[in-house]
Amino acid sequence: MKVSVLTRAGALGAFLALAGCASGPGSIYVPIGGGEQTRAPEPPRTSTSEPEEEPVWRKSEQPEEPAVVEEPRDTAPSYQDSGERLSPAAQSLVNEADNLLAQGNTSAAISRLERAQRIAPRSAEVYFKLSEAYVAAGQLGSAEQFTLKGLSLAGDNTRLQRAGWLLLADIRRARGNVAGADQAEARAAAL
Amino acid sequence: MSLRYNRAMAKSKTPRKSSRKSPKSGRRPWFWRLFFRISLIGLVLLAGWMVYLDAVVTSRFEGRRFEIPSRVYARPLELYDGASVSAAALQRELELSGFRRGDGNKAGSYSRNGNRFVISTRGFRFPDGEEPRRRVAFGIYGDRVENFRVLSGDPAPIVRLEPAQIGGIYPTHKEDRILVELDKVPELLPATLMAVEDQHFYDHFGIAPLSIARAMLANLRAGEIVQGGSTLTQQLVKNFFLTREQTLLRKGNEALMSVLLEWHYEKDDILETYLNEVYLGQAGTRSINGFGLASQYYFGESLNNLEIHQIALLVGMVKGPSYYNPRRNPERATERRNLVISEMEEAGLVDPSQAARARGLPLGVSDQPSYSENRYPAYIDLVRRHLARDYREEDLRSEGLRIFTTLNPAIQYAAEYAVEETVPRLASGEVREALEAALVVTAKDSGEVLALVGGKDPGFAGFNRALDAERPIGSLIKPFIYLSALAQPDRYTLITPVNDKSFVLEFDDGRRWEPKNYDKEERGEVPLHEALSNSYNLPAVRVGLDIGVDVVAETLQAFGVTSPISRYPSMLLGSVSMTPVTVAQMYQGLATSGFNTPLRTIREVTDSQGEPLNRYPLEVDQVADPAAVHLVQYAMQEVMQEGTGRSAYYTIPEQLTVAGKTGTTDDGRDSWFAGFSGDLLAVAWVGRDDNGPTSLSGASGALPIWSRFMAGVPQHGFSPVVPDGVNYHWVNAERQALTDEYCDNARLVPFIAGSEPDQEVSCSGNLQRRIQGWFEGLFR
Repeated sequence: MKVSVLTRAGALGAFLALAGCASGPGSIYVPIGGGEQTRAPEPPRTSTSEPEEEPVWRKSEQPEEPAVVEEPRDTAPSYQDSGERLSPAAQSLVNEADNLLAQGNTSAAISRLERAQRIAPRSAEVYFKLSEAYVAAGQLGSAEQFTLKGLSLAGDNTRLQRAGWLLLADIRRARGNVAGADQAEARAAAL
Repeated sequence: MSLRYNRAMAKSKTPRKSSRKSPKSGRRPWFWRLFFRISLIGLVLLAGWMVYLDAVVTSRFEGRRFEIPSRVYARPLELYDGASVSAAALQRELELSGFRRGDGNKAGSYSRNGNRFVISTRGFRFPDGEEPRRRVAFGIYGDRVENFRVLSGDPAPIVRLEPAQIGGIYPTHKEDRILVELDKVPELLPATLMAVEDQHFYDHFGIAPLSIARAMLANLRAGEIVQGGSTLTQQLVKNFFLTREQTLLRKGNEALMSVLLEWHYEKDDILETYLNEVYLGQAGTRSINGFGLASQYYFGESLNNLEIHQIALLVGMVKGPSYYNPRRNPERATERRNLVISEMEEAGLVDPSQAARARGLPLGVSDQPSYSENRYPAYIDLVRRHLARDYREEDLRSEGLRIFTTLNPAIQYAAEYAVEETVPRLASGEVREALEAALVVTAKDSGEVLALVGGKDPGFAGFNRALDAERPIGSLIKPFIYLSALAQPDRYTLITPVNDKSFVLEFDDGRRWEPKNYDKEERGEVPLHEALSNSYNLPAVRVGLDIGVDVVAETLQAFGVTSPISRYPSMLLGSVSMTPVTVAQMYQGLATSGFNTPLRTIREVTDSQGEPLNRYPLEVDQVADPAAVHLVQYAMQEVMQEGTGRSAYYTIPEQLTVAGKTGTTDDGRDSWFAGFSGDLLAVAWVGRDDNGPTSLSGASGALPIWSRFMAGVPQHGFSPVVPDGVNYHWVNAERQALTDEYCDNARLVPFIAGSEPDQEVSCSGNLQRRIQGWFEGLFR
């Protein structure tokens, strides 16, 4: 059982490594009197959203140039359809963690991943990686929780969702929760 | 007082010779017998005394060698492309960590040119490994690190600075030290020390009778004490029993104990203990012991980085740390230092050109002690309580543990500033005097406590309101009522009409309860999201009673409330009391889509050698359906944009999207605000310690503090990822129907899949069956 969890976690790792090279974190708010001005427009972002969607809701993701249609602020709770990707700095920590996991040093790997999590706290990948590390450490309860957390941030990225649900299915099966595992597998299959 | 070095004395080496004569006399035998007996008694007494002294001095020696305070560190600043930090905050942080502004080439220094920084890190042993020395360069634009490069040292895309020491847990006698090992200190230090204080250290047996004799002679001549004759061993013994008293008996005891120490221990052991023990200054109530800490304290440098003139100053200060205090008496200190440099030259430890150069240098003392004791009393208080779960107090005081906390100095700075700036403006006269406040800031997704303010005077270590003020939470409870309701999508959605109309509850014992709205108005039917964003009491109680008080209480418990929760209906208006930290814990789950994340102040604890003892890992625990939480988050954003929290946007700019909730209790006794951005969760409380009334509401008391804090910190806006099973629809809430985006009253609202209305209303107001839904029904 455990072995199958590990293989799939490994496969997930390979997938995440591929997925990790996307754009950096969203733009940040700069306090007034923080002094320094924004030097250049934000780098272009890889948007995974549908083109017809209203961009105005994605306030924290908006490019710096003034939008042509300025929607009034008053009725616009913000949301986004896609999760955030790993920044290169976080990715480098995840890579270090991968090496440590390969050497069987799970506690050092977890410590690297927590550093990555602090840098990229809204990236599903980091949580799936933490789950992988906790599987390796034999702490399946924690692994399951981190998978769920990752899934809550996967957004409309079906590859990430699928990877997460399959990982969850394996962990649940390894924990003896067959019904939960089947349910998770069904979710993956439905994607 | 220690021995003043006297060159003339040192040169005239007279061989030791015994001048004792065997006395010859012809006294009677009874006298001899008596003399013999008295001598015997004296000898026995002396032996007993020696045994006693031996026990005293060895226990002190052993004990002191190992009693080191625990050190508490802030979180290390991580530098990488995209890291959010302002130039001003970075500079403050560098200074707090003991970096000095300079050319950026010497380890522990930095240079700043406009927005460009060059930093030479010192290298630091973290619990998860060594962070080597590096020289890095980067710019800060828009409060963000850019063009990060490692100029020398191990290349890396991300580098941690040495963390700032933010406090210590000291032995009861308030001595502080950084332990050094003899074979790891620069050789020049012990050599200089011996040249100046005790040239024959490696030859004598604890005392140097000749030096004492010379010192006595000199003192007699001068008519006052101008010289001490103490060896390093004697000075060490004296340091064990700090007292100014200089009686003959005391001197005798010291001499005996010195001999005993020498008899028990190797010279190197004694020298090493001396290096760690010698008193070198005072920082408030804390005494600076040993060269390791003195080096940090006076130069902000580790002992190994000191130059000749700095070593000379420290050695010179042994003679009188207060008299030669380089911060208060720089001239005296310089004179003394140059004298020591001459001694070094004389002893051949440095060559004449080095000595001349060193004499020409300024003292090189850092402006401020690299940290002041108890800079963050409220935060350290929480750290100590967390530590108390796993460590004994005496171990914390003496084992030299290294405690790595989650305190973020930049966030703490902004939090303190927000409280200090805002509280005096909230009221006037007596109420202003009595007004108190607390602020808790955590990292939204990790539960790390980043900052804590326990009162309006953050530097004062008094009543810690953030941890100990248990107050009714008022409307802060409402999101949990509506969350419990929205978790049943077949019964409640964000547009479900709820009744804003008064009612009376009659209890079995005849008591009546008639809740009222804050503004005493009634509005009839309002959509649920509006009832939450405007914090109407009547619908909240109605919904809460409909769902069940027990269900709401269970939700609170799932979100981390451990104290007992009253099951009276009045709990639905927040009669339940909590501390600001508990509120922060509870809101963590709301901010993170239903994941309870235990608050942490400590990441790791290591022993004094850096070996890990405990790790406190990130934990998450899903306690609510992310879909239902997403709907509550929607309404909590609405609070800020249209509801009771909208005045926040007077202070924070539009592009920073935030979500939150106000809370007010009767007569403004408690004013609360709990809210979050993409990165941070903050809970503010304002009220009086005597629980007296104020004229404040959550929006006029706590919210201004919260907003000012949020406005001062670079961060990401709140923009939650839509969870699986939630869809946004344009709806007309009044008609309970889907509608077209451009119609009047159209509002984009999230629904748990299947709970959206199945009617559609056109802009002109014609209600129709939803076409798509109709087709779906046809082919199902």
